[in-house]
Amino acid sequence: MEISVIILTFSFIILLALNVPIAVSIALSTILTMLFTINPVPALTTVAQQMTSGINRFALIAIPFFILSGQFMGRGGIARRLIDFAKAVVGMFPGGLAYVNVLACMLFGSLSGSAVAATSAIGGFMVPVMNKEGYDKNFNTALTVTASTTGLLIPPSNVLIVYSLASGGISIAALFVAGYLPGILVGLGLMAACSVIAVIKKFPVGNREKFFTALKKFCSAVPSLLLVIIVIGGIITGIFTATEASAVAVIYSFILSVLIYKEIRIPEIPRILLKTAETTAVVMLLIGTSRAMSWILSYENIPQNISSGLTGITNNRFIILMMINLMLLIVGTFMDITPAVLIFTPILLPVVTGLGMSPLHFGIMLVFNLCIGLCTPPVGSVLFVGCGIGQTTITKVTKSLLPFYAVMVAALMLITYFSWFSEWLPKLLGLY
Amino acid sequence: MPNFIQKINRITGALVSLLMGLMVLDVSWQVFTRFIIRKPSPFSEEVAGFFLIWVSILGAAYAFYKKAHLGIDILSSKLKGLKRQILEVIVNLIILGFALFIMVAGGMKLVILAFKLNQISPAVGIPMGYVYSVIPVSGVLIILYSIGFITASIKDKDKAILSHRDKKDELPL
Amino acid sequence: CQKKSHRILKLAHVLDTSHPVHKAMAFMAEQVEEKSNGRLTIKIYPSGQLGQERELIELLQIGSLAMAKVSTAPLESFVPEIKILGIPYVFRDDTHRWNVLKSDIGRSLLLSGEECFLRGLCFYDAGSRSFYTKKIPIHSPKDLKGLKIRVMKSVTSVNMVKALGGSPTPISWGELYTALQQGVVDGAENNPPSFFLSHHYEVCQFYTLDEHTSVPDILLISTAVWDHLTPQERTWLQQAADESVDFQRKLWDKACQEALQEVKKAGVTIIYPDKAAFIRSAEKLHDSYRGTQIFELINKIKEME
Ligand code: NA
Ligand code: NA
Repeated sequence: MEISVIILTFSFIILLALNVPIAVSIALSTILTMLFTINPVPALTTVAQQMTSGINRFALIAIPFFILSGQFMGRGGIARRLIDFAKAVVGMFPGGLAYVNVLACMLFGSLSGSAVAATSAIGGFMVPVMNKEGYDKNFNTALTVTASTTGLLIPPSNVLIVYSLASGGISIAALFVAGYLPGILVGLGLMAACSVIAVIKKFPVGNREKFFTALKKFCSAVPSLLLVIIVIGGIITGIFTATEASAVAVIYSFILSVLIYKEIRIPEIPRILLKTAETTAVVMLLIGTSRAMSWILSYENIPQNISSGLTGITNNRFIILMMINLMLLIVGTFMDITPAVLIFTPILLPVVTGLGMSPLHFGIMLVFNLCIGLCTPPVGSVLFVGCGIGQTTITKVTKSLLPFYAVMVAALMLITYFSWFSEWLPKLLGLY
Repeated sequence: MPNFIQKINRITGALVSLLMGLMVLDVSWQVFTRFIIRKPSPFSEEVAGFFLIWVSILGAAYAFYKKAHLGIDILSSKLKGLKRQILEVIVNLIILGFALFIMVAGGMKLVILAFKLNQISPAVGIPMGYVYSVIPVSGVLIILYSIGFITASIKDKDKAILSHRDKKDELPL
Repeated sequence: CQKKSHRILKLAHVLDTSHPVHKAMAFMAEQVEEKSNGRLTIKIYPSGQLGQERELIELLQIGSLAMAKVSTAPLESFVPEIKILGIPYVFRDDTHRWNVLKSDIGRSLLLSGEECFLRGLCFYDAGSRSFYTKKIPIHSPKDLKGLKIRVMKSVTSVNMVKALGGSPTPISWGELYTALQQGVVDGAENNPPSFFLSHHYEVCQFYTLDEHTSVPDILLISTAVWDHLTPQERTWLQQAADESVDFQRKLWDKACQEALQEVKKAGVTIIYPDKAAFIRSAEKLHDSYRGTQIFELINKIKEME
């Protein structure tokens, strides 16, 4: 193996193990690699330049805006109305609240681009309610954690925007639409698992709502659901770019939660803006430094070398995709989803496109694979937030998570080996 | 953490949320000009990009103070006492090195190049040196913060809070 | 790590490997290798692997990249003199344009970036840009009135469309297909191969060959690298670059002919307008530069054969 690859890999792993922030580890291992072929001053300047030009993309502005609208929706009463609506739809079955939880996560996911936002917004309401109704605490937490990852497949999705950038500009509209079926597939799979568990553990049956109350709840959810039509409809039909749609989402959720529901007061807004900016900065510093890393990767021809190395082992598409999935599952247990997408897209994309897989299909596979990692110890941001909300520990929840992991891995296999799930809808709508 | 560093961070935070608010207004203006008055503004998109750079890089400095950046704490979380203090110092020295060499030195060189070569932005026509200047500025802030963390953890071993994801509320994605 | 006797120059650009300009630069790389007996080689990074054009220019100035091929449009914000190439109807026709580009004027434009560490080696033909529209055929500038035309994000492009009568709308190239489809803009402007390769002909019925601007591509080398080349190496490189220009122009002409044939086959109506009216509209724009260096340059070019 070339010396540059060895330096890059080892310095990166050592820095990560020391608990140096990932973005800093990326930048420093990049600089160390550069110093082999480029003089120090141009090398440092190039990293600084790539950091800024990596951030300076109009499409990326959608990320802080979807984070901001997610904040408005979570704090401003929109999440609660979605839960009430979900209760009216699926609440009456045995284990009804479990379905309500999954459906509410999917609905919230269709408004917000973040799985963590879904966990805190939906889990914050649902887990205490389910605890009180006699459901197992760890089951409730495990379910919320896994169900909220559907929000990263169901559009809008911040991770898919990051992938669009890392892959060299796959249409965000096509990626968004591609996420629908896999997202719904995972949601239905989780509900199916719940129905089996409900029988075994004898979960309580929910109340059937009176038709009139159900209708009322539906009506009060309409303004929230209308946002899906405006934002996603606008992106798919090409009326809005993803960035413009995200601005519309901010304006709409601001009007709803601040001016109409009045659940957020104006003086709270600077704090919400700062929180959004902080979260944005964490993501953007990663995007910027990863951009510098993929620059040196290209400069040293590393992706091409890895690609030919992998296809040198075997040409069997089935086996290579299985190896990639296994590797990503391991990566996902340790690494958060954004850095993983940014680091592995430029390396793996040439491999899979060489096998005839479309970048669109690969994006959905990659993101969903890493979604599983969000719910696995030792590092999983959604799992951490879920445990905080469910007031339980990672060790206790992990046992309840096992059946849901099984569902997710099964869904991953379907998504990996049947391109239909990712490609049918974008093709139908003429986006791909 | 010394008082003046806390004060500087509060100012940074206020500036970041102001820039974030301005970015929202700018892109809303873009949507308005394109869809309501149907005369798209040629400037708003480029300006939004500049706001994003400033919010991100200045916000990144703010996030260093808050220890909000993502890191992997599997090994470090097992350390206690003196070992933890030593590691905290090492990690902050590494962060200081990143800020000093890449953000201050590399960033400054980029700013100087942009000014000296009179590079201007294509649509609005402002010198790109002003846009890039946020890199060395944030670099200086990060250096201050890491010095603050180092002195705090040397003085008091309980202050050696390593994990860059201690605050497990609302993480990015 | 490289031996002293063997120098590798890294060249980056944003075009696909099937593009005539990429082929020409691959030809140049072969020529350099042959002339120098392998002592000087050029490694090409296509398809924007090392960044978009603006970033590539910065990398040349920083000194971490040796060479880059860019359009002269993004170079405007680094080297103001180069704006002359984006002004409509400065050139009478292709022959006039190449006479100018190969004259002292062209040579001084190539060197106009030297103060900001950029040295031009040669110009490549990127043809002439013409309007294409969705529904309304353009026969004269009057037809452009009220039409939203997509432009590049540069002041010169905005002024150009304004002067010719349209209302300029800056949109990035990647978003243009859907913008045309949805009617965000009524048309755009580009050279025949780009019109064909971008599939915009699927949504635009009319292509008016008014050939308003001819913004060439330029091959740049960082002066940090150029200054360290031996005189012998400079000669090899400059000769190979010059040879690749003729090679590229032939490929380009062929690509243009093929693109026009293909879009015609796909049902696009090609309009050959009377250029005189367009040229008259552009004169006003030329006058607006009165009193500047650019105005003198326009006149000098107009006087040339
Ligand atoms: Na979502
Ligand atoms: Na994990």
